[in-house]
Parts: sequence; structure tokens; C-alpha cells
Amino acid sequence: MRILIKLAWRNLFRNHRRTLIMLSAITVGVWAMIFMTAMTQGMVTQMIHDGISVIPGHAQARNPQYGDDPTVNNLLPVPDSEIAGRLEGGGFSSWTTRLSVPAVISSERESRGVTLLGIDPEREADFTFVEIDTIDGRYLESVSDEGVLVGAKLLETLKTKVGNRIVLMSQTPDNDIADRGFRIVGVFSAKVELWEETWVLTGKETLQTMLGVPDQVTQAIVFGDNYRQVDAVSDSLRKAFDDTVSVQRWTELDRYLGTMLEVMDGFTLVWVVVIFLALSFGLVNTLVMAVFERVREIGLMLALGMRPSSILGQIVIESMLLLAIGLALGNVLAWLSVKAFPDGIDISIVAKGMEMMGASSILMLDLRLQDVVLANSVVLILGFLASLSPAWRASRYDPIEAIHKVD
Amino acid sequence: MLLFACCSVVADEQVSASDIVRAAVDHWRGISSYSEMTMVIHRPDWERRMSMQAWTKGDERSLVRVTEPRKDRGNATLTNDNEMWTFSPRINRVIKIPSSMMGQSWMGSDFSNKDVARADDIVDQYSHTLLSTMERDDHTVYEIESVPFEDAAVVWGREVLLIREDHVVLEHRFYDQDDVLVKALTTLEIADMGGRTVASRQRMQKTDEDNEWTEIRVDNVEYEVNITDSLFTLSNLRNPRN
Repeated sequence: MRILIKLAWRNLFRNHRRTLIMLSAITVGVWAMIFMTAMTQGMVTQMIHDGISVIPGHAQARNPQYGDDPTVNNLLPVPDSEIAGRLEGGGFSSWTTRLSVPAVISSERESRGVTLLGIDPEREADFTFVEIDTIDGRYLESVSDEGVLVGAKLLETLKTKVGNRIVLMSQTPDNDIADRGFRIVGVFSAKVELWEETWVLTGKETLQTMLGVPDQVTQAIVFGDNYRQVDAVSDSLRKAFDDTVSVQRWTELDRYLGTMLEVMDGFTLVWVVVIFLALSFGLVNTLVMAVFERVREIGLMLALGMRPSSILGQIVIESMLLLAIGLALGNVLAWLSVKAFPDGIDISIVAKGMEMMGASSILMLDLRLQDVVLANSVVLILGFLASLSPAWRASRYDPIEAIHKVD
Repeated sequence: MLLFACCSVVADEQVSASDIVRAAVDHWRGISSYSEMTMVIHRPDWERRMSMQAWTKGDERSLVRVTEPRKDRGNATLTNDNEMWTFSPRINRVIKIPSSMMGQSWMGSDFSNKDVARADDIVDQYSHTLLSTMERDDHTVYEIESVPFEDAAVVWGREVLLIREDHVVLEHRFYDQDDVLVKALTTLEIADMGGRTVASRQRMQKTDEDNEWTEIRVDNVEYEVNITDSLFTLSNLRNPRN
């Protein structure tokens, strides 16, 4: 065995130019696999982080009918004041409750359909809108704040400004019109323009009073530690309520993001395999050439009594050594290039397009161990399989014919 | 009777702005009224006319039914308190106007559904101040500024009303919160009808649209007519019995 490894190692450097070319191809391929995966994963992580921190949270408890008809008619059957007691000690990293209803916002000149959120500004400050900067005016101050916070884009559409009054109109549970004037106290900017157009925030109690539903909310939102592992969070949320409440994970609440996560995990594998397929042609070609050049030598070794399996092993080992060196270099290169962008890559040139997808214009890289392991194992396993064919052919040579072969 | 006399004397001496507005609204609507009117919607490249009948009772209830043109005949709007329903014979359905549509145009005109359903908001959702009193064509005209309350469901910054001492509203101007005039309802003709002096032709026009306006021409009006409550019901909206 040691002899085989030694032979393979030496063979590798007999034609060092070819080996170097192959090595650089493998290195670049592996780098591309890992780096590109880190990029797409970074994009997905960020989209999901932004997406769920704004609205769904990691898991939500709400009225079972709310999903189909998100109005004030489908409130949580538990009073707001009681929810705090139920959620404390549930192992959530943070939680809040919201009253969220469809509404129409009108200024003097325009009106738009929006989602009006009655929030608890102090609780929300822990997570939701920390990413959404109040660019003008102020943030909401308390649950009974009578001002509203609107998105910059909506403000532009309504042709109004901070300090002006707007009218918000919605419905009470009896289907009567509930409307009142509000003063715009602040403007927020969001990474995604759509959010600026959709969300209007006010104090939770103010909205409860306006809709005539004191101490009622539409959803309780909780956060755990990791957005990929939300089962524990949703289970303990389910425990906090009874069967009259439906608890959903963010993957169910935001199908787009949930599906995106699954697709991206699958996509990583496809990406790695595609790159490897391109690489494997080079690898197999190199090995075939190496075998072809050494037909007489292999014939001699066979004639001297080396077993065909050793020939096979020798060539496979040669290919694995080549791959191992390439992988090592590729991994180091990928790691270095990820480290080179600690603050993410600025892709603001295509920011508009990214926004439409719900991603932001700074691309953070997310190098995950499991993706690196995946790329390395795919290369090793498929590389092993690819090198079997030339190795097998070499081991099947007839020694006499092989020795007599003229170059 | 004595009490009434005494109060009217006080009112004469010290006319409060909100009383003037209240009186103008009451004068226009009466306790109950029946009117026939024509609405003209004018746009740069077209104009359409609609004749309709309208019944009102108190501040809250009204019913408007289109009589001409033929294709719109039977279209009706019922308002009760702050709610509003429409009926269209073509689809044979009563539709409740949801709150989301209250800001939209009423039958394609320059009036919004809200203008129609909640015309009396001017009385109780604003604070009124008398800006000036002037003489015009042998009449005293009060210029009243109405500023909506902070939480009133009104988008305007302020509204200015010109009201004659005989309760005819001459002009109703809507200003945005930067004090720019957005639209105005102007009385173009005044006539004696149904025993009262009322505005018989009024035009609603947006300031930045020169050639777009809606006129309401009152052809006939009767006040304090006897109207049964059953007129203002959904079943009557669908199956007219009047």
C-alpha cells in the first residue's frame, strides 16, 4: 500500500505541467463551488432574516380563520393582557403581539390600501423595525401613541409629509366603518420598497380603541434563536395556547421565503454537481492520458507480478491525491475570499432588481460548514467514481501486448 | 314659546359660526325633503347627464335614484348613518360600499361617496370660526373657517364656507394641509323652490383640472314632505315602492 501511494505520488509529478494545470482547474472549481454557495446562502439568509423580522417572526399564533380573512373579525381568542403571562418562560428569545388589519389611508390627493399594524413599540424595538430606520420624524413612543409611522414610498405616493394629518379607514367587528385622522409622526425606509408601501404603524392601544376591540390582538409573534430550527419555538408557542389558536411557522406564513430556503438548499447540491461534471471531464482526460503514456510501464509491472488490483489502486490513488491537493487549495482560497469581504459585497448596481426579489443591495457571504462538507464530499466521491474507468482499463491490460506497444 | 323667542334673540346678536353652519345644513336638507335634480359630469372630451330623484330624512338618511339616462335607470344609493349601499338593476344586487371605497368617486362624478354619505360631518367634526362678514348683492355673507378636529376622519387642512344670512351656501372651499386650494363647490344659481331660497346649481371642481367639473342642478324640491321610514330600507332600495 505504501509503495502504491509512493508510486502514485511520484507519478503525479512526472508530467508536472499537466498536473499543475489540472490542479488549478480543480482549485478554481472548488473555489467556485464554495464561494458561490456562500454567496447564494448569504443572500437567502439575509432575505429570510429581513423578511421574517419584519412580519411573520419565527412562529405566530393567530385565529385559525385569520389566514384566509385577515380582518378584525378574526381576533385571537385570548385577551392581549393575558398573552404576556402565557408567553413568559416559553423559551422565546423575544415576542410581541400585534393588531394587524387591512385599511385605507387617504391624504388630500390620494388614497391607498395598506396593512395597518397596531404595535407595542417597546417590544418591537427588540427586533422588528430595528432594521427599518426612521429616516425622518420619530419612532412610536408607546402603545397609546396616536401618531402613525409610514414608509418613505407611501409618503411620496400620498403626496404628503411628516407632520400632516392623514385619514385611516378600516372596519369594526360589526362591519361598521371605523375611521379617524392621524398625524404622521415619522417615516421609515425599508430595504424592500414594497414594505414601505404596505405597512403603516401606530400604537396598539390607539388602534384597539379606533376599532372598538379593547385588549384584543390578531397575532402573537415569537422569535427563537435560529430561523432554520423553529420547531421547538412553534411547539412551545402551541403549548402556551389551546387548540382554538393556530400556530404557524414562518415557512408556512411566508411560502415564498419558505420555498426559497428549500430551493436554495437543493440548488447548492445541483450547483456543486454541475461544476464537478465540468471538472470530471478534465480529470478523466488527465488520467486517461497518464495511463496511455504508461502502457509499457504498466505492462512491465504486470509482467513482474504486480496484481491488477494494485494497478487500479495506484491510479485511483493518483487521482485522489490530485483531488485532495486541489480541494485543500480550493478550500483555502474560498475561505480567504470570503474573509476578504467581511462587510459583504456591494451590488448596488443591480439593487433595483434585487429589491424586487426581496433582497438587499449589500450581499453578505454566509460560509456554512455543511456546504463546505457537501462540496468536498461530492468532489471526492464523484472523483473516485470518475477515476475508476481509466484505472480499470489500465488494470485489464494484457502484459505482453502492453510491453510490445510502440509509442 | 317664550324660551324660543329669547334664544333666537341671543342668536341674532351673537351669531356663532357653528350655528351658521348647522343652520345652513338644516336649511338645505330640511327635516325631510324630496328633490329632482340633474347631475352633469363634464370632462375634456365628454360630458354626461343624469337625472335623479332624492329623498332625505333627518341628518342620516337619504335615498337617490337615477331616472335618466335609460341605461342607468334604477341605479340607486341608500345612505343610513355612515353606511352606504348601492343597487344596480342590471346585476340585481345590493352592494354595501365598503369603507375602503368611501373615498372613491360617486357614480363617476367629482363627488366622493363620502361627500354623499357624510355631508353632515361638517357640523360635528370641525371647529368653526367666523373669519369675516361681508355684504354682497344686498345680502350679508359670513366667511367661516372650519378646521377638522385632530382625530376627525377628514384629510383637509381647513375648509372655508361662504354662507349667506338666508342660509344659502355660496361656496365651499377645500384646502390641503399646506393651505393650497384643492377643490371647491361653488353655487352658480340661486332660486326659490319648495318655499325656500336654495342653491339650484352647484359645481364641484378640482383646482388643478380646468376642464373637469360636476354640476348638480336642482330642478324641483319640496321640503317637510311626509316620508315613511320604510323608504330608507334595503328592501325598498332593491324593489322601489315609491
